[in-house]
Amino acid sequence: MKHSDYYGYALFFLALVILPFFLDSRWQAVATTFIIFTIVALSQDVVLGKSGMFNMGQALFFGLGAYTSAICNTKFGIPLLATVPLAIIIPALFGIILAGPIIHLRGDYLLVVTIGFNIVFVQALQNNLLGLTGGPNGIFGIDMLQIPGIDSGRQSVVYYICLAALVMVLIILKNLETSKAGRALHYFREDPLAAESIGINTRAYKIFAFAFGAGIAGLAGTLYANQYSAVSPEAFDFVQSVLFFSIVIVGGSSVPGIVLGVFVMFVLPEIFRDFATWRYFIFGFAMIFTMILRPCGIWPATYGKVPAYILKGKQHGKK
Amino acid sequence: MDIFFQQLVNGLTIGAMFALIALGYTMVYGVMKLINFAHGDMVAGAAFVGLAIYTHVMGEAVSLPAVIAIFLLTAVAVAFFGIILERAAYRPLRNAPRLSAVVSALGASLIIQNGIMLVWGPQMRIFPELIPPLSWEFGGVIVSLIQFLIMGLSLLLMVALYLFIEKTRMGAAIRAASIDQDAARLMGINVDRIIAAIFIIGASLGAVGGLFIGLYYRGITFNMGWQYGLYAFVAAIMGGIGNIPGAMLGGIILGLFNAFIAGYVSSTWADAFTFMLLIVILIVRPTGILGERVAEKV
Amino acid sequence: MAKNDLVLENVTKRFGGLTAVDRLDMEVCQGQIYGMIGPNGAGKTTVFNCITGIHPCEEGRILWKGDDITKLPPYRIAAKGILRTFQTIRLFPQMSVAENIMSGRHVKSAQGWWHGIMHTPKSRRDERENWLKVEEQLEFFQLHEFAVQPVQSLPYGLQRRVEIARAMAAEPSLLILDEPAAGLNDKETMALLELVFRIREMGVTILLIEHDMDLVMQLTEKLTVINFGKKIAEGTPAQIQQNKDVIEAYLGSDDDD
Repeated sequence: MKHSDYYGYALFFLALVILPFFLDSRWQAVATTFIIFTIVALSQDVVLGKSGMFNMGQALFFGLGAYTSAICNTKFGIPLLATVPLAIIIPALFGIILAGPIIHLRGDYLLVVTIGFNIVFVQALQNNLLGLTGGPNGIFGIDMLQIPGIDSGRQSVVYYICLAALVMVLIILKNLETSKAGRALHYFREDPLAAESIGINTRAYKIFAFAFGAGIAGLAGTLYANQYSAVSPEAFDFVQSVLFFSIVIVGGSSVPGIVLGVFVMFVLPEIFRDFATWRYFIFGFAMIFTMILRPCGIWPATYGKVPAYILKGKQHGKK
Repeated sequence: MDIFFQQLVNGLTIGAMFALIALGYTMVYGVMKLINFAHGDMVAGAAFVGLAIYTHVMGEAVSLPAVIAIFLLTAVAVAFFGIILERAAYRPLRNAPRLSAVVSALGASLIIQNGIMLVWGPQMRIFPELIPPLSWEFGGVIVSLIQFLIMGLSLLLMVALYLFIEKTRMGAAIRAASIDQDAARLMGINVDRIIAAIFIIGASLGAVGGLFIGLYYRGITFNMGWQYGLYAFVAAIMGGIGNIPGAMLGGIILGLFNAFIAGYVSSTWADAFTFMLLIVILIVRPTGILGERVAEKV
Repeated sequence: MAKNDLVLENVTKRFGGLTAVDRLDMEVCQGQIYGMIGPNGAGKTTVFNCITGIHPCEEGRILWKGDDITKLPPYRIAAKGILRTFQTIRLFPQMSVAENIMSGRHVKSAQGWWHGIMHTPKSRRDERENWLKVEEQLEFFQLHEFAVQPVQSLPYGLQRRVEIARAMAAEPSLLILDEPAAGLNDKETMALLELVFRIREMGVTILLIEHDMDLVMQLTEKLTVINFGKKIAEGTPAQIQQNKDVIEAYLGSDDDD
């Protein structure tokens, strides 16, 4: 990363760490939700921004994680912290299973199929599938995530748990960008044919991208279940997917862009409660204007991240 | 057996509505390769516009000339909005990446949907009973006047559209532009005018569909556009997006499927089954039932 | 059969009613610079697409180092050491020159998908090694000053170089070039000539399509001439120049592009 990137991240992190001290409980809850949705949007970016696949069903995986934690906790008594691995793995597995048969579809068809999966999921939840999902009212009475020695019921603690998760997700995404797998996603987004011809198994990596994004969204699901102590079908319907989709495209496929997008979509309406009914009306205009003026998003992705030792052209000792 | 034929009738009725709306999606996609997400909301808007015309312009008259006038005025109004939509949200993005146009369409959708809400409020409104609630029974199957009207008028419009597309010069121009916009332009076809034409036709058909929804279901809400729009879009995709007979076929199939699931299985699973049908069709036949494969030159 | 041979036996490719490649037999021996020429639309690129798995052929076989690669997908053929460039340059437009070349290291990298989640000392070593290999290519192709520039901002001739560099980064045994001189001026074409000879000296077999006849005559050792998907002649450049069928097919071929 460039030096300016480091400072940017450090400042951002610092701001998030000290934020709770300036906020009352209600606004801490808003900030917590902001972080949770940022994680979901980042997961959407893996599939849409980096891999270029028109996925409009990410709320499905978000919901899978949330419901997995909810069911394990309320029906089987498993402490919420212990449900985290399942809440990541089950959505990831679904990501693989669902992506497999549809990944070869052309962009627009893929879009509709992912919406379709989302709708099937929500309707299955509403119909109390297998007696587990609780019907249209969902599941409530979820225990809080307990960290030994800390009063985990306080909103600020919940906030810091989510912040820690966000940091972990950002580190994982950084690892992705500086790895063979992560680069492969960019390559087949830019030109699938060239990517195949250079040796990339695009089908396998597309499924990988879906599973990767699904797992991260699943983690966010557990955080959501923790924050609200309840999960319900409408929180994960395809309207939510449309919002996450729009955040990535309008904000841009970069961390600042996504954070900005989530802030505008979810935090601003909280600040300007009076304008709540006008919220989506104004967003619609914002979306159109952004696409006309900045088709790659407000803060687009940047390339050219090449290790310093390549750029300087210095002699380095051969080992 | 009664259930079967009853659901058949219901299915054809719903299917006809889906088909009318699907045509708007498929015509725009065929030429512009754009999913006009706002189309469903214009359909919803048509129902509200029709309500407004009935209340404020027609003085709540229900005579035949009044009803015809409501249909015509609504179609004109919605077509007009369709042109504005194209000019404002899509034309500036003709050469932008496809994804930008998709998001712009979503933005337009939000604007129209919430515009309706801001004007008419978030609660459900009742669409006037413009058609007398007459019905007839045929061997255990009940068919209402509204259903006859919907099926009959839809059939008429679809046949008219089919003839227009196949037999007229403008129709040929539309077909040419669907295959290759640049080549069509080079052949002297005024593509801008073609696009205006498809928006007018698509919006008008959609408007009729919206009015039918109002007449059939009576309750209209500002966000019903996404629900019906999505179904109609699924119909267009199933039939092969860009393919006009495909959209008609897709609409009918979808309507029938939806009715039979609701009748035989459960209405709370209708959406899920419909989308599962779509997914299966796309896996087995990726370009839709009547769609065509397009090869890419390497 | 010598070791690194590419053999096409009776290869036939149809698109609907059109037979694009008709029972083609061809053999490229290790270390050769082999050319395929013919009028536009003769089916040359289609042959390349068959070899590289983009459009698998309906009939016939393609053998590489003795293995049957006929039905393999493109990414597996790249892993077997056959890399190609495209008639219309297909780079990764928004990405930098170095990142484009790095894609060539994909088949050579030992990383697994899990290293996308967490790095290990092994994966970090692998990253470093591969970037150093990219640097080698940057040096060899004199692209160092453009390393971080997006490729879409480069002039055409440089983009061609990047495309070849990308293929070379994958350490191919067979390099397939589809009209590498298209769009290049005379000076650039001369440079391309030298480049191809240097690549061959490194032990890479080269198969190319070209329209620039001067280049073809200077560069290639053996030629196959195709028209309407069928082979109409085969031999050394000198032999081909005299061949009546070839002259007829071209009817006064042009040298320039």
